[in-house]
Amino acid sequence: MSNLLPDKISKALFIVTAILMSVNLYLIFAVTPMVPEQHWAQKIFYVHVPIAWSGFLSYFIVMLAGIMFLIKKDSKWDRVGLAAAELGTMFVILVLITGPIWATPIWGKPWIWEPRLTTTLILFLIYVGYFMLRKFGGHPERVSRIAAVIGIIAFLDVPLIFYSVKLWTPQFQLHPQVEMNQQPDGILFPFLFSMFTFTLLYFLMIRIRIHILNFKHKLLTEENV
Amino acid sequence: MLSVLIKKELFVELRNKEVVFSMLAFGASVLLIFSFSFNGNPKTMHEIAPGLFWTLVLLSSSLGLHRMFGLEKDFDAFSSLIASPVDRSIIFLSKWISGFIFLSITELLIVVPFFLFLGLSKPMSIFPGLFIVLSGNLGITAVGVLISGLAMRARMSAVLLPVLLFPLLTPLLIACVKSTAGWFNANPLEFYQIWVMIMITYVVIFGLAGFTLFDQITEE
Repeated sequence: MSNLLPDKISKALFIVTAILMSVNLYLIFAVTPMVPEQHWAQKIFYVHVPIAWSGFLSYFIVMLAGIMFLIKKDSKWDRVGLAAAELGTMFVILVLITGPIWATPIWGKPWIWEPRLTTTLILFLIYVGYFMLRKFGGHPERVSRIAAVIGIIAFLDVPLIFYSVKLWTPQFQLHPQVEMNQQPDGILFPFLFSMFTFTLLYFLMIRIRIHILNFKHKLLTEENV
Repeated sequence: MLSVLIKKELFVELRNKEVVFSMLAFGASVLLIFSFSFNGNPKTMHEIAPGLFWTLVLLSSSLGLHRMFGLEKDFDAFSSLIASPVDRSIIFLSKWISGFIFLSITELLIVVPFFLFLGLSKPMSIFPGLFIVLSGNLGITAVGVLISGLAMRARMSAVLLPVLLFPLLTPLLIACVKSTAGWFNANPLEFYQIWVMIMITYVVIFGLAGFTLFDQITEE
């Protein structure tokens, strides 16, 4: 474990995240009120929304890292972009799994063309292409530059995808809206706590992943020398 | 310099007819399949025709876009092109404009068989449809040329192009289908102007993105 947590910040982040996540799970299962129409299905909302947020945050970081890589030409930013793309995709897959789990008892079917879910699915498909390029694209330096460009245009596409799908399927606006200030305290506080905890978990994971990619890069460089 | 590069693209295409011919041949084959697969009553065909038309355009364009950098790749001429004293963004613009012209010519040739084979009645007015189709073409080729340019620099470019292109084009495709449906149904522009606005926004965003980023993907 000490190899994965190279500095004091990572170690502190690990301890804090582990404690907060335990509290978070306790709050979700034991403290939050049961919503009458949704029963246990509603509990997934405390996980589904934070992982969706973390996924989109991650793809935003891919775009920022792509811009920095193209400006600075420093491979460090390519590794940040790759780490963020991997984690973003992992979180997005979880969103695509937890969404239908919630939807099946509530909507009566696992999938409808709801704007948030659809945007997530399309982003996931773009990143399937991104990873195919990373895996099979050939020349590593060239692939890094191309991947940075895809990371940028993928995120530029997000508002257009969301808006067009929203207009395309006005009948599918059944997704719980994010007007959280209208929620009772019993739901609002655990929800915000879960958002914070999952964001911390995300930052811990990306630190570890970047550390691993940096280490791998160092080994490959030494091997080539 | 832009006009010289566009002339070069048009001249090469006039000589070998590679891009338009491949899109047209593929488009005709897909149209044949559509005619047999969606052999519904006229009302159903009228409803699904906008979707079929843009699916046909999207599939054909992916083939043509793959050939946009085909000659440069085959003859290893891309290095010479980017080594020439031309701003690389201008190269993107020339490819974008010539791709747009090739796609528009292909559509012009395929649109009559499309209406005939699927038994569709002729729309009342031509100009709104023309504007929608040309805007859609601009959007498809803006992203298409950028993706084609970057896929051409990687291995497995024939696979990477559609895998990357189709999801990125989703908002444009929705807007194209919706506005074309509005036009087919002879609705007033106010009913589908939001979709036309989305198409224009898409063209502006991805035209600018291509213009700015093309320089990065062409670096050796």
